[in-house]
Amino acid sequence: MSLILDNWLLFARGLLATLQIGIVTLIASTIIGFVLGTLATTRRRSVRLVVRGYVELLRAVPLIVNIFFIFFGAPLLGLQMTPYMAAVVGLSLWGGANGAEIVRGGLMGVPRHQAQSARALGMTEVEIFVYILLPQAMRAIIPALAGLLTLLVQSTTLGALVGVPEFLQISRLIVERTTVMQGSDPAFAIYAFVLLVYFVLCSALTALSRRLERMLASGSARKTPTMTVEATAVS
Amino acid sequence: MDFDPAYLVKQLPALWRGLLLTIEISGLAMAIAFVLGVAGAMARHLKLKGIAPAVAFYVEFVRNTPLLVQMFFIVFGLPAIGLTLPLFWAGVVSLALWAAAFHVESLRGGLATVNGGLEDAGQALGLARLPFLLIVALPLGLRVALPSMLNTCVSLLKNSAMLQAVGVMELTFVAVDRMASDFRMLEMFSVMLVVYVVLVFLLSAVANRLEAVMQRPFRA
Repeated sequence: MSLILDNWLLFARGLLATLQIGIVTLIASTIIGFVLGTLATTRRRSVRLVVRGYVELLRAVPLIVNIFFIFFGAPLLGLQMTPYMAAVVGLSLWGGANGAEIVRGGLMGVPRHQAQSARALGMTEVEIFVYILLPQAMRAIIPALAGLLTLLVQSTTLGALVGVPEFLQISRLIVERTTVMQGSDPAFAIYAFVLLVYFVLCSALTALSRRLERMLASGSARKTPTMTVEATAVS
Repeated sequence: MDFDPAYLVKQLPALWRGLLLTIEISGLAMAIAFVLGVAGAMARHLKLKGIAPAVAFYVEFVRNTPLLVQMFFIVFGLPAIGLTLPLFWAGVVSLALWAAAFHVESLRGGLATVNGGLEDAGQALGLARLPFLLIVALPLGLRVALPSMLNTCVSLLKNSAMLQAVGVMELTFVAVDRMASDFRMLEMFSVMLVVYVVLVFLLSAVANRLEAVMQRPFRA
């Protein structure tokens, strides 16, 4: 216990980095998700295929391999990546693939007659998308994106494997340092503490996602199809 | 840097051993997770005193903590208080415990879809709750839960790559280790990309087939 108090500043710094990466990648994932998710519902088959390929590829390869790829692979293209950047880019590309599925699911969940009616009223395709489809799709998209934030926060731990000083990496260093300096192995207490902190943090985010879902669902008579991103497994 | 097939061929035996370990660990973990998942879902469905809430908490805990931290806890944390598992089994256990939590959730949802009329019919035939669950509800509920359970299995396979971090010499470990020592990124990344994509697609194909087979009795 004293070990945790002694190192609270380090832990706090790690946790801050974790939250920072989580939020930055959520924003990037949301942007990628909206662009690709919208493209996935267009009529052009070639565009849909490209998006499909991107989503399937990123979801088939383990996220950690993806991050390694960016970290070790960037120098091949003449780019220098800090561990922090590699983790953010890797998580964002992966989160973007998941975001695309969320947005696509949300848009497809809007009943077909909504767009048909709007077209009959003479609205342009852009107007239909902005005023009719998107607002209704948001009911499903917003809670699912909150769920994605939980997954992203959990996945920031993978950054530790390329050396990002986030919460897990800091804890790992504290375990090593204490083992060397005091001769006792504090791994049990420290990792139990780390599990607990993540549990509290992610439970709060999960609760937020469920709350958003309830709040947004109550506004509509029709029950919006709920995306089950929070129930799917991280990979 | 250009692609060197000769280098790749030289590394194939080591990569093959890594791949076998990936498959072995994932396969064992899937089997254990299935058993634990069914047991957990049954406990929740029967509302067993003490056990059902414990399972519910377990599921929430696992879903709301990162798998990598769970692995660190099992591989580095437990030995610190004298609970040492061989690394291979620590890997299998961490993946199995993780996937079991998701299985419990899927299966609980599946069992909830079994309609009440069937339960009444079972009672009329003299089936107690447990036999009813085992021979009627479970086979039906499993079919409903199957797609999401198989999804969890695919994720388990991919997540076995995280075992690289705790020193299990599976495919990712071998590939990253070679990259660090020989700086042949291109070859190793191509291998990982191809192997994981092929494995995931094979597993998905098996999953689809299994779903089709399981639906057979219900087709007119």
